[in-house]
Amino acid sequence: MATVAATDTVNIVINDVDLQVPKGELVVEAVKRLGHEIPIFCYHPRMKPVGMCRMCLVEVGFKQPDGSVRKMPKPQAGCTLPVSEGMVIYTDTEMVHRDRKGVLEFLLINHPLDCPVCDRGGECPLQNNTIFYGPSTSRYIDIKRHAPKAFPLSEYVTLDLERCIQCGRCVRFTEEISGDAQLAFRFRGAAMQPSTFKLTDFDSKFSGNVIEICPVGALTSSKYRFRARPWDLETSEGLCLECGNGCNVWLDHRAAKLVRVNGRTNEAINEEWTCDKGKFGHDYYNSSKRLTQPLRREGDRFVPVSWGEAYAEIAAHLGAKSAALVGSTVSNEGLFCLQKLFKDGFGSENIDHRWTRTLPAAGERVAKRHESSIASLEHKKTVLVFGADLANSQPIVHLRVRKGWFLNETRVVVAHSQTTDADSFANLLLSCKPGSLDDLAMGLERAVAEAQKTDVQGFASFKDTEKTTSVKESALREVAAMLLEGNASIVCTASIYNENKPVETLAALAKIAAATGAEFNVYAEGGNDEGAMALGVMTGRNTHEILQDCAMGDLNALWLVGADPLTLHPSRRLAEDALEAVPFLVYQGLLECEAMGYASIVLPMEAPGEHDGTYTNIEGRVQRMQQAVKNPGDGKPAWRVFSELLVRIKPGRPSFSAKEIMDEIAATHPAFAEATYDKLEKEGTPLKPVIENFYM
Amino acid sequence: MKGQAQMYRDVVKPLLAGFGITAKRLGRKKVTIQYPEELREQYPRTRWRHFLTRYDSGLERCIGCSLCAGACPARCIYVEAAENTDQERYSPGERYAVRYEINMLRCIFCGYCQDACPTGAIVLRKDFELANYERSQFLFTKEMLLEEYPGQNLEPHKGKMQGTIALKN
Repeated sequence: MATVAATDTVNIVINDVDLQVPKGELVVEAVKRLGHEIPIFCYHPRMKPVGMCRMCLVEVGFKQPDGSVRKMPKPQAGCTLPVSEGMVIYTDTEMVHRDRKGVLEFLLINHPLDCPVCDRGGECPLQNNTIFYGPSTSRYIDIKRHAPKAFPLSEYVTLDLERCIQCGRCVRFTEEISGDAQLAFRFRGAAMQPSTFKLTDFDSKFSGNVIEICPVGALTSSKYRFRARPWDLETSEGLCLECGNGCNVWLDHRAAKLVRVNGRTNEAINEEWTCDKGKFGHDYYNSSKRLTQPLRREGDRFVPVSWGEAYAEIAAHLGAKSAALVGSTVSNEGLFCLQKLFKDGFGSENIDHRWTRTLPAAGERVAKRHESSIASLEHKKTVLVFGADLANSQPIVHLRVRKGWFLNETRVVVAHSQTTDADSFANLLLSCKPGSLDDLAMGLERAVAEAQKTDVQGFASFKDTEKTTSVKESALREVAAMLLEGNASIVCTASIYNENKPVETLAALAKIAAATGAEFNVYAEGGNDEGAMALGVMTGRNTHEILQDCAMGDLNALWLVGADPLTLHPSRRLAEDALEAVPFLVYQGLLECEAMGYASIVLPMEAPGEHDGTYTNIEGRVQRMQQAVKNPGDGKPAWRVFSELLVRIKPGRPSFSAKEIMDEIAATHPAFAEATYDKLEKEGTPLKPVIENFYM
Repeated sequence: MKGQAQMYRDVVKPLLAGFGITAKRLGRKKVTIQYPEELREQYPRTRWRHFLTRYDSGLERCIGCSLCAGACPARCIYVEAAENTDQERYSPGERYAVRYEINMLRCIFCGYCQDACPTGAIVLRKDFELANYERSQFLFTKEMLLEEYPGQNLEPHKGKMQGTIALKN
């Protein structure tokens, strides 16, 4: 007989129904097991309860030995009360209803009731709770509290103090989740207000979340201000491709225009949070600089042409001596079709998607790029963040690492030459001199080797390491000991390739991981960079070589797929020379940009939310985004352009849908075998691990 | 003789009876009117063409809250809001409607928008003469809906044709 895993449970009674719930569970959570709901404002399941709003009052009693129930004389706050043996909870008695009415009447005393002009109106917990539980009228006839309307806390967040019900969700968010502790309550009583210290800008990388968790319209988005009401909006499931985390978002659009981005819950990736880049960084969808039709250069100006003419021009100019450079928001399907077009159509293999200073050759490339899933990072005993500014490049990974530290006692070690946001909570900080990350990794490798009593010959002495990196021997030994305790994870990002000797650094870290049994991650940076890695979009000449070849005149044509080398490439000089010298340049992109000025043909591209496609996030999770909004012009998804062009060069059957291409990818790339559209799971499907060794 | 009696019974008597009714009615007030030269006064709660009303100060009542659009069962109202500034003020609060459009072809004149409006900005009044020659003319913009001066919407409907066609003497 199968045995049920033993969890400590207690017997409680909720509204006369007996049930067992885990010991210590909060009443507000326990009642959900019966489908009941307790109205809440300040309580948030991902933050610690504070019991500030008193909305969750319930009647609580205890079973007496004679079977009767002895009720507590006063109602209890359900959000701060853990269940205990014999507890009897009532959520639906007259007393509870009267209390809720009273609490709401109090909350509404100072609430301005300007719902018709409030951006939260229509999706406001205070509105909803008032309608369901509140009084229909107020007995309060005096003058309400007044404060300046629409105070800009930052460029993105607007505070309307009159509407605040002082629940403290925003304050707790910055303390518990984002960790920047930017907001705090000033003053007392009715004058209490969330504000930054010294009234500086609310300058957090996650400030957008407080807008979503605010249960009233006190914190609203400056960008969304008065743009739409909730019932005007259509909402589509979307993905954010601002970085490689692949956060799930809701794309709210109105009249075919994207107006707002909200976090969508995916426990495996972003829980429910978004970073500000993701929440406010989607302006390009409605930019006036969007390309709307194919253009051809005639002299010093561009003239609109049809797609057919553009295809003919490209087909005539691109051949074996051509190359493509890819940006980070092209879908898996687009990347696959690009590879096919270049290989089968033009007979060229020169494609690359990487823009870092060092581009390792195939032999040096670290194959194990993501051993830890994002969600697993919060359960690690030790996380070593090596040479990465997670809050900037991988904000959601940063939140997970911090969550582990905050809730699960993860020890966080940050090794970097710059200051990062993670320094504030790091248990140990290995702050090294700029450009010495490789020495630091080597020093750490020696410390691990010494701790394991293996051969340390060939390593620099700790003294030398301290000289080059300024990190002390004791610190290195401490980190080594932490890693050796097991359940550790080493987190790097692709930004390490912008540092000194990245290949050696990663090799040392990989060896440390192998020796200590730690998981090793080199997370990709851009939106679909991991997809490009998995599909191998780095064949033939690499980015630097392609640009050099262009500058030297060895390549006849260059195709920029959603990438502007002038901003992406570390050497602007080389990029300028290359674009200047290459005889035929195709720029395919969303927006007008500087590189477009050098182009012979300009093709408009659809933004990710404008077509169906899949994207692979840093942990190798393939997620699909379907069309949310329409392209404002005549743009096409990248895969369609490549597929249609290939038919012109090599007649055959074009691909008709993204689904079809994904089937083809699944058939040719074993890693994607489970990622076809009919098999994709709601939370995304992780790539199958295919490569087991560290070096290809 | 028999023929004459029959003639009287079947023709003259009904004729006279008919004229008698006419004669009786001649003294009463006429119910028909000469539309479009003449207009009948509409019932007080008639729901026809919309007006966006103003406060006595001249400021627009509409705050661009879009509740009318939410209440509209025909989805024929489109509202776009913007923020008032002290230099450019359209309505008393923070927010005003920068675009307000009603598709009159879709509108079913149910008056839900009037019900939903928190400021009494959108009202349905007595102008029933909404025919036009082009479909595009039925898209009523904010400029067309907004009353020219406060209280214009409460005046009786004068009719488009009145005075344009010479009345018969």
